[in-house]
Amino acid sequence: MGLPAESTEAYHHGVLVRAPTLSRRPRGSLRLRREARLAYALLTPTLLVVLFLVAYPFFSAMYLSLQNKMVGSPGRFVGLENYVELLRDEVFLRTAWNSVVYTLVAVAIKFVLGLTMALILDQSRRFNNLFRTLLFLPWAVPVVIVSLNWRWIFDDLSGFLNNFLITFHLTHDIISWLSDPRLAMGCVIAVVVWAGTPFYAMTFLAGLQAIPKELYEAAEIDGASIVQQFVFVTAPRLRTIFVTTVMLSTIWTATNLQFVLILTRGGPASRTQIFPHLAYEIALGARRLGMGAAVSLVFFPLLVVLIILLTRRMLRERED
Amino acid sequence: MAERRVTRRQILKATGAAGVAATAPWWLVKTSHAQRAKKIVFWHVPNFTPLADELQKQQVYEFAKQAGVKESEVEYATVANEQVQPKLAAAIEAGNPPDVMRLYESNVQFYAAGGHLLDVHDIVEKMRREPKGIFESAMASVVYKGRAMGVPLAVNPWPVHARLDLLEQARLEYPKTWDEFIETSKKIQSPPRLYAFGMSLGLAEDTTDNVMNLLWCYGGKMVEADDKTVVMNSPGNLAGVKVIEAMFKTHKIIPPGSISWDNSGNNKAYQSRQAAFVMNPSSIYAYLNGNDQDLQKVTGLFPVPAGPKGTVNQIDTWAYGAFKKNPYPELARGLLDYFMQPANYDRIIQSTGGRWVPVYKRLFESPFWTSKPEFKHFIKMAETGVPVSYAGSPTAAAGEVLNTHVIPKMIQRVLVENWEAARALDECHKKIVEIYTRTAKG
Amino acid sequence: MASVVRTRRLLKWVGNGLLVVLLVWTLVPFYWMIATSLKKDREIYGFEATLIPRHPSLDSYRRLFATTPFVKYMRNSTIIAVSTTLASLVFGSLGAYALARLRFPGRSVIARGLIFTYLVPPSLLFIPLFAVMSVLSLIDTREGLILAYLGFTVPFCTWLLLGYFRSVPLELEEAALVDGCSRLSALVRVILPMSLPALAVVAFFSFTQAWNEFLYANVFTNSVEVRTITTGLTLFIVEDVFFWGPMMGAACLASIPPLVVYLAFQRWVVKGLTLGAVKG
Repeated sequence: MGLPAESTEAYHHGVLVRAPTLSRRPRGSLRLRREARLAYALLTPTLLVVLFLVAYPFFSAMYLSLQNKMVGSPGRFVGLENYVELLRDEVFLRTAWNSVVYTLVAVAIKFVLGLTMALILDQSRRFNNLFRTLLFLPWAVPVVIVSLNWRWIFDDLSGFLNNFLITFHLTHDIISWLSDPRLAMGCVIAVVVWAGTPFYAMTFLAGLQAIPKELYEAAEIDGASIVQQFVFVTAPRLRTIFVTTVMLSTIWTATNLQFVLILTRGGPASRTQIFPHLAYEIALGARRLGMGAAVSLVFFPLLVVLIILLTRRMLRERED
Repeated sequence: MAERRVTRRQILKATGAAGVAATAPWWLVKTSHAQRAKKIVFWHVPNFTPLADELQKQQVYEFAKQAGVKESEVEYATVANEQVQPKLAAAIEAGNPPDVMRLYESNVQFYAAGGHLLDVHDIVEKMRREPKGIFESAMASVVYKGRAMGVPLAVNPWPVHARLDLLEQARLEYPKTWDEFIETSKKIQSPPRLYAFGMSLGLAEDTTDNVMNLLWCYGGKMVEADDKTVVMNSPGNLAGVKVIEAMFKTHKIIPPGSISWDNSGNNKAYQSRQAAFVMNPSSIYAYLNGNDQDLQKVTGLFPVPAGPKGTVNQIDTWAYGAFKKNPYPELARGLLDYFMQPANYDRIIQSTGGRWVPVYKRLFESPFWTSKPEFKHFIKMAETGVPVSYAGSPTAAAGEVLNTHVIPKMIQRVLVENWEAARALDECHKKIVEIYTRTAKG
Repeated sequence: MASVVRTRRLLKWVGNGLLVVLLVWTLVPFYWMIATSLKKDREIYGFEATLIPRHPSLDSYRRLFATTPFVKYMRNSTIIAVSTTLASLVFGSLGAYALARLRFPGRSVIARGLIFTYLVPPSLLFIPLFAVMSVLSLIDTREGLILAYLGFTVPFCTWLLLGYFRSVPLELEEAALVDGCSRLSALVRVILPMSLPALAVVAFFSFTQAWNEFLYANVFTNSVEVRTITTGLTLFIVEDVFFWGPMMGAACLASIPPLVVYLAFQRWVVKGLTLGAVKG
């Protein structure tokens, strides 16, 4: 999907908290029913959109995953056969491992880099607004363009990196960035990080700027060091932002197809094969729609669990 | 009071409404498709030159006019090569394919097997009756169960593009055998700026093509002519894979980055003067014609060097397919016939600057082809060339092998993960057997 | 105290150093994109490829405007992205208001469900969605593409706005209701004006999503009159040759509108995020 990795991400933990409602005075059920009718009316467009454009395709994909179905031929119901075949395949384990590594490492680096960026931009400095604008630029570039451009940077024969290194005599051999099994995954992650860090920086910076300066002054009077100030003043106030940012970023990193599709197609030797790309390869390369759907869906519960765990734990810590 | 009777009836009503709402998309989607406003829907896959694209578009509209179809009733869409697969899959699934489009190799048999293509046997028969007929090698990819289901439009040989100036500098001839090829390569290359052999080794279709072509020279092949017996673990294949391994690891005549190339990688290496030899259809030659004539002047097109089992050349075939799900099949067939009328056809072929070899043998006698020494070997290659699925034909199963990069994954096992060639071939053999068995079951 | 001041000064210098590194890391790819678009083929490929264009030329751009429907693609993208944004704002506000302020059965299920719609990868949805589109006769129409994009912008906008609406004090709205305002006019007169930064965030997100999307645009549209600029990039891949110069030129130009929108909304976006982050 051609979304920028992070531009679609924003955060809010609102959903996880009980909603306030107008006025505590008891109401008649008639009033409640009127309210409910209004609510459904207001929600109709949203619900229709979700029903037709998300739920229906999703459930048909689920049904598809239970069939032996090629492009253009009627499907045959086979129950869980696709999943069984998939779990038995050696490719599955490798893909699962790659997907987890890819997602976790990319999210972790984006987090650290984003936090660094935000802390730097929170210092007082001339032209800080300009620097902020420049650092956040990658956020607005379409993923397709990001990936194509980076592929061109990594290009073994004509790319920026090798040209630069050879021109300045930093190396005299070609480095095959995307072909070397030790480097390929790192390169893909670098691109994901480049595109995704600004979003983290942006939300973290927003959080930092909302912390009242008096809190730091008070801490300083109490003799807290810079590190202590960060741990006891800054971090607790950013925790909610951390949770939501990481959660959305995890979803989008894990489900993104374009980066791998354009950069490596899962190579070399399956080193960068991840679920979205494997699904694409099977559904459209092998034209096995049923199997492709199964590959897409097999990662789904893992994500759901991850997200539930993440939000639960982090929010509980906050309450403590 | 109204509220007391919220009971059963209302619950039923609510459940009913919810049920209808929840299943509405399904019912709607399953019901009939909307009436089509367009009479001719043509998907155009861009050719090598804007001129050829323009001519093709003109011909679609010329035909429409002749057939009494209004311009507004023609849909002419351009679909980039890389995007054909997802678009076509979605369109077929929704029962909404184009009427006519160009299909690559195994796609004809794949969609014919699914019952999606119109029988165009009569059009192809008419083509064969032209003086001197057509290159029969093209028939392998369009014939399904004895009937022509696609109209072959061009035969593409895969010559070796070779840098004549480098050979001349080193006072060497174009190598006759692969052994000579390796020796010559070592003499003319100067890595990292110039690697001799821009062999495609990435997860791309070109890799299957390049690798298989070399394996054939060593007596290997993927499947027997019966399209059933997979022979990937044969001694011929083993010998061939070892040669590739030696070229890559020992002789270092292949650029290491080729492992991540896509189909454009070898083109780019040659165009940028960073490879002296590449095996590719003449798209490179056509590109040079339009963009770098200096390099074109020193480019020779040669047959593939010979191995212990002689030399074999690959061809691939482009064909038009007409989809059945079309209220106006006669228009689609008429359009195909119009395209293939030799006069119309020749104009397009020549405008592609040597990208496509005409399927009509007679057209090969025109000065365009006879005047240039580069094309000297083309006629033989076109006549005797074999598809990548050799010794089998480009069936749906062969298409899956190509599309899912089974062969490139095998060669990467050897080159990247340092597997024994025999072990990698064994794994590959099993995978291909699985594909052929599954596809045969349907 | 003194040590804190000293550490802070030190951190400032560390910050300056890191800032330079981060700026280089962020900007070099932009440089390479622009440089490539200004080169001719000879300079693009191979080791003669130059780090700085030796003979900068606008040839790629000329080719772009003269030989491709680039302008039309840009126009289509603009229409589609703007419409998607407006529709998402309206639908999102209405839905979020209902979820934030009204009591009705199923509320929490819907609110929680919205986030899960994001887990569904679009690469899985596009084939069934294509079927929906063809039933509605929306294949190869701008309306169809806009509708498809609403599928991921609307749940997102609703979800985001929901949080902000809750941070608007209840008293203000109650006052308006007591004054005889209807629910809807309370939404329009009280809540929306107080949520402008959030609306800015949502507008920016919807715009970039619609502008940057590739897969749906590629599969659901065919004709020049409808296709968007991201799909237009594939025009520069002919068979197995990439035309990197014009492609990077198109990429540079195609990145400008989201950047402009971003620059215009920038102040609001950070403010919007701040508000929600603290109050939510």
